[in-house]
Amino acid sequence: MTTVSVVIPVKNGERYLAELLAALAREGVNEILVIDSGSSDGSVEIVRAAGVELIEIPADAFGHGRTRNLGAEHTTGELICFLTQDATPVDGWLAAYREAFSLAPRVGAAYGPHLPRPQTSPMIARELGEFFATFAPDGRPTVQTAGDPPFLSNVNACYARACWEELRFRDVAYAEDQAFGADLLAAGWSKVYHPQAAVLHAHDYGLVEFMRRYFDEYRGLREAVGHVEPFGLGATLRHVHRSVAADRKWMRQHGAGVLERARWTTRSAAHHGGRRVFSALGSRADRLPASVQRALSLERRDGAPRMPAEPASPAARRPGGPPLATGARIPRMRERDDYEVAAEVWRHGPAPLLDPVAGMADRERLRIAMVIPPFSRGSGGHNTLFQIFSRLERRGHVCSVWVHDYFRELRDVWPGVVRRNINEFFAPIKGAVYKGFDAWHGADLVVATGWQTVHPALRLDRCYARAYLVNDHEPEFYAASTEQVLAADTYRHGLHCIAATPWLRDLLIERYGATADAFQLGVDHETYRPRPVERRRDTIVYYARYETPRRAVPIGLMALAELHRRRPDVRIVLFGGGHPIHTAFPYEHMGVLSREQLSWLYSEATVGLCLSLTNFSLMPKEMLACGLPCVELAGVSAESTFGEQPPLELATLDPTNIADRLERLLDDRDLWERRSREGLASVETHTWDHATDQVEAALRHALRLRELPVVSR
Amino acid sequence: MSTHVGDEQAEIDRLRARVAALEAELIEVQAWANEVVGQAQERTYWLDRWHVDLNELMRHRSADRLRAAARAVRSVIRLFRRLKRRFVP
Repeated sequence: MTTVSVVIPVKNGERYLAELLAALAREGVNEILVIDSGSSDGSVEIVRAAGVELIEIPADAFGHGRTRNLGAEHTTGELICFLTQDATPVDGWLAAYREAFSLAPRVGAAYGPHLPRPQTSPMIARELGEFFATFAPDGRPTVQTAGDPPFLSNVNACYARACWEELRFRDVAYAEDQAFGADLLAAGWSKVYHPQAAVLHAHDYGLVEFMRRYFDEYRGLREAVGHVEPFGLGATLRHVHRSVAADRKWMRQHGAGVLERARWTTRSAAHHGGRRVFSALGSRADRLPASVQRALSLERRDGAPRMPAEPASPAARRPGGPPLATGARIPRMRERDDYEVAAEVWRHGPAPLLDPVAGMADRERLRIAMVIPPFSRGSGGHNTLFQIFSRLERRGHVCSVWVHDYFRELRDVWPGVVRRNINEFFAPIKGAVYKGFDAWHGADLVVATGWQTVHPALRLDRCYARAYLVNDHEPEFYAASTEQVLAADTYRHGLHCIAATPWLRDLLIERYGATADAFQLGVDHETYRPRPVERRRDTIVYYARYETPRRAVPIGLMALAELHRRRPDVRIVLFGGGHPIHTAFPYEHMGVLSREQLSWLYSEATVGLCLSLTNFSLMPKEMLACGLPCVELAGVSAESTFGEQPPLELATLDPTNIADRLERLLDDRDLWERRSREGLASVETHTWDHATDQVEAALRHALRLRELPVVSR
Repeated sequence: MSTHVGDEQAEIDRLRARVAALEAELIEVQAWANEVVGQAQERTYWLDRWHVDLNELMRHRSADRLRAAARAVRSVIRLFRRLKRRFVP
């Protein structure tokens, strides 16, 4: 005969515990284990008196899932029954469970009805009867498989050990049984509802406690299986009306007198109405402040997810035995791993490209799909992309935008809003914007635009070629890390690179063996031009964006501290950072400025300071376009943009040298005039139209690289 | 032999022209579809902004009732207008 163990988690359960243990002894189970989590009543004594095995755990170690897993681990029966401390099996309970597991192959679990106790309220008694009747309309056991409701209740349930070992209970705050039910069906097991495997069980809460318990239950259901209870005022009123009528009818059928029926009617209305409200609130608890959640919860829990690091089965003690140590079982917490798409590329390689067609590079109109990472207002990289993309679209190319939102940063932003934001933040586009690739329908060219977008772009099929618009050498943004490795990996997959400076192009070719073209970042000359404002002779403006490490802000600040020491009268203005930073000199904090404001600032200032440890950025060009001489770092990338005689003052990566260059421009009026003039002249041709010409030529180059040699005639 | 080669070349040229025509057609269709989707996204901006899925909303039972009520009101208004046209000069 199949051996059966029973596990009963207990806390202050003395009211029904003796009755329950006696019923189990009567039924003849093979093993009983009680896990007490800090009872302060007589529960432990009752258990000991009954000669039942006991494990005591600290109250804060209790978890509905983890404690039951602990119980299953410490029992040996082929079937493991779980009962709550207030559920008393009725006669025939054990036989019914044994029968349940013989009704079908691969029965993973079975459960039975909860019968009302004599003192149970009519609302609960009626609902229990009606609820469990739905599982067995003809009163016979039913086998449930995939597609059936996942309902399981650990108030009274029994599990095949093999099934529990395969799935185990999730360490969730609530509804671990429902989660197990869903997991079980999904894993191909079946479950059985057996009407004779019944227990006497009903909660005797007051009205408020009931409501708070519903809040907890539905919050747990949401956490475990994602259930959201619908709510509507009309529907609630109709539900209350129907339920009260049903309760009254039930009371009549069970012999309740007029007075008793009247007494329960008000309570019934409050119960059913309150339940609808509290279950809807519980389903949506994540939208409530923690303090409100705690107030509404019977468990006083604020709903914060339990941290995986919390030990699932902390040291439990058998009386007189050593502490039991078991590892934490962490449930699945996310849909997929962070860089799964990169692993897919490594495993399966890029999706195959379409066979090239002769002459495709020279077609007047190209279908261009640009894959972009999420963005926010003011993103310089995205501004570059859309300045060019918008112009490509105006030239007749069919341009679509695909947002790869891997970390769900834009999860609450729908595509129409993403599209409008692009239009408002950067440049006007007419084409469609897609989130994700469900609607992918192919293109002539797929253009990746940042290291995070390359691997998904490589998995897109139905395209002739892939290109990679490279704004910066992104591996340098990271210390030794997965991100650094992945960013470097993106240059090695054969995408034709279109680099934002010749320096970057050469780096990609030499270091990674990529094919690459270069383009020059354009300047919006309508905005960035000398404004009609008197030029000051004492003002240094510094792009001190501390949040961006490649801007070498600590070195810039040391240079300005040195300059201030030499020339305390110089006005120093810092901009680009959200918050004022602490410095060794006084300054004016401008924060993040609009493009219009920047152009006025550049038109008024004496010298600009903008450092980049990687690729040459747009900002010095915009300063020059406003007639503002600028100091940048030598030997990185500025020379590749302007040649051997750049219109900038280039300094070594040394605060004193930077301070020298700034001071020279402040003091030497001729030098200042020359730099200002040269700067204006040098960026005159750096327009977005020119940048678009270069990018368009590079896109055609990417297609040409794939073209078959034309068959000789 | 040379006639055979000439035929083959002509066939290649014909197929190339056909591919080019089909590609041009595809571009026209995709350009149109791309712009139409873009325009639709522009029109639904506020729905997207407020996370309103009208199809989902109208599937709800209350929406049926609302539409039935609107139909009833409309029919009364129409009746009133008809009567007005008939009896009021």
